[in-house]
Amino acid sequence: MQITSYISVAYLAVFLPAALLLYTIVPKKVRPFVLLAAGFTFFWFISEFLIAYLLISILSIYLIGLWLEKLKGKRAAALSAAADKEEKKRIKKQNQTRQLLVVLLGVLINIGILAVLKYSPFFFTNINLIMRLTNAKAGVEVPQFLTPIGISFYSLQAVSYLHDVYKDKIKADRNLARVALYMSFFPVLMEGPICRYSDTAQALYSGERLHYKNLTFGAQRIAFGIFKKIVIADRLNIFVTTIFKDYEAFDYDGGLILLGAILYTVELYMEFSGTIDVVIGSAEMFGVRVPENFRQPFFSKSITEFWQRWHITLGTWFRDYIFYPVTMSKPMKKLTKSARKKLGRHYGPMPASIIAFFCVWFCNGLWHGAGWQFILFGMYHFVLISLGSLILPLSNVVLDKLKIDRNKFPYKLFTILRTGLLVCIGEMFFNSRGVKDSMHMLKRILTTFTIKSWFDGSVFSLGLDPYDVLILVIAVAVVFTIGIIKEKGKSPRELIAARPIFVRWPLYIALVVGIIVFGAYGAGYIPIDPIYANF
Amino acid sequence: MDRLIEILEDIQPDADYETCTTLIDDHILGSLQIISLVAEIEDEFDITIPTVEIKPENFNSAKSLMAMIERLEDE
Repeated sequence: MQITSYISVAYLAVFLPAALLLYTIVPKKVRPFVLLAAGFTFFWFISEFLIAYLLISILSIYLIGLWLEKLKGKRAAALSAAADKEEKKRIKKQNQTRQLLVVLLGVLINIGILAVLKYSPFFFTNINLIMRLTNAKAGVEVPQFLTPIGISFYSLQAVSYLHDVYKDKIKADRNLARVALYMSFFPVLMEGPICRYSDTAQALYSGERLHYKNLTFGAQRIAFGIFKKIVIADRLNIFVTTIFKDYEAFDYDGGLILLGAILYTVELYMEFSGTIDVVIGSAEMFGVRVPENFRQPFFSKSITEFWQRWHITLGTWFRDYIFYPVTMSKPMKKLTKSARKKLGRHYGPMPASIIAFFCVWFCNGLWHGAGWQFILFGMYHFVLISLGSLILPLSNVVLDKLKIDRNKFPYKLFTILRTGLLVCIGEMFFNSRGVKDSMHMLKRILTTFTIKSWFDGSVFSLGLDPYDVLILVIAVAVVFTIGIIKEKGKSPRELIAARPIFVRWPLYIALVVGIIVFGAYGAGYIPIDPIYANF
Repeated sequence: MDRLIEILEDIQPDADYETCTTLIDDHILGSLQIISLVAEIEDEFDITIPTVEIKPENFNSAKSLMAMIERLEDE
């Protein structure tokens, strides 16, 4: 059996039910091992023998965690035996350096594997390019590696475990099976969310029995995820692929290219958040709550807010393990203190933040892929977020002068639409074949944009017929309505569950029938491959 | 506590620090303000705030901030 996606018959009709069945029939103590076996089996189905890399990561963080714990124990013993303050200071410093070296070794193993497998071809290709530019005759051979699916996700989980042990946020786990389960829980293996040890490890290992509410709520969430992917994302795929692949050959105008960028953003959201719905729903069935990855991102009023609502666990990972460690490092704190004296309240923390933003967005871009277009994607966000912070005082003055109320609906709507447009441009870079294509497409939008091509029937020649457009409008409206309910702090599933049975069941049936009847599968459609699984 | 409130008001004047318990949850303090706040608190109270202490539980109210400062002063 091969599993290519969470939204596949192999996963939904075979793997998940089999795992649930096995989980429920075995005694409580055995259940964590069923989940562990399911995780390894799942990994085997998606990446076969490359499972060796996952095992190295698990073993490395387990052993290094214990090593750190041992050093911490030694430090405590030495401190209690120390004669004076000076000696204590010396012990602390010496032990701290050792711990730092040990944790760096762990990070090096895990990020090293990721770097070699995923980035070395990109690195050597660029070396060759530079050598060619300098007319050097010799070139280096570009290595090619098979990369396990999900490595970008579980490697970040590994680093967070090491960091959290090092910083005393958690205790190193002596139970290898629990560490292994934290790293290989099958619903999150391929596309996240990126979990922290403190989020999931205990719940995964507790072997709680299955509950009716968890099963039904999980199933509903899964069905909603399938709806987003099959009815919306797969339907948009031909149009988006055509625009991005052939934008030059067919000389599409800026209007159609921008429409392609907008619809790609919708497609990406429906595909990724739909898959995450399936992931979270699957975990919920086992009674495990994994962190949410999306919170209605298209209601964001700024790019910063967008990244607090889109791929949340990646954003918080970069915040906790790059942004704060950089801004809170000794030299940066010093910089902030002196800058506050010279530049004042708003601009004081800016120099340190901009340096940290650069590190975050460079890594964020690279994390998404080994290509210059991904670095461009990261730098685009770095510039937008830095500029946003820099011009905030000025824009507040202008808004006050123009007597524009920032809390009124028209202004909020303007900021939401502005953010949406900027996000779509960023995603256009992200989906392009390279930086050259990105720039061409942007140029076309800026120089040849007309809204006419949205309505003159051009759309219907690019893989969407009027029937598709009608279904898309209705389906997006359904997702949007659910988003508004969530935005108001209510749970759509709880609201539906509180309704009488003759309201509840028609809604469930409508969702399933909606997927079967309006799903974009079969002749005339090409389902998208899971986009984030390749990262 | 008064010294802390003074620092907070200097960094972000638009909040009632005596009562507010959602400084982080309601985005009253963003990452830029947190960077300033940490630098000022460290200076004023002669402590070092490690990055693991930068979490909503510690930064959501003046009271929780003070509790963190006192804890770090004792260490």
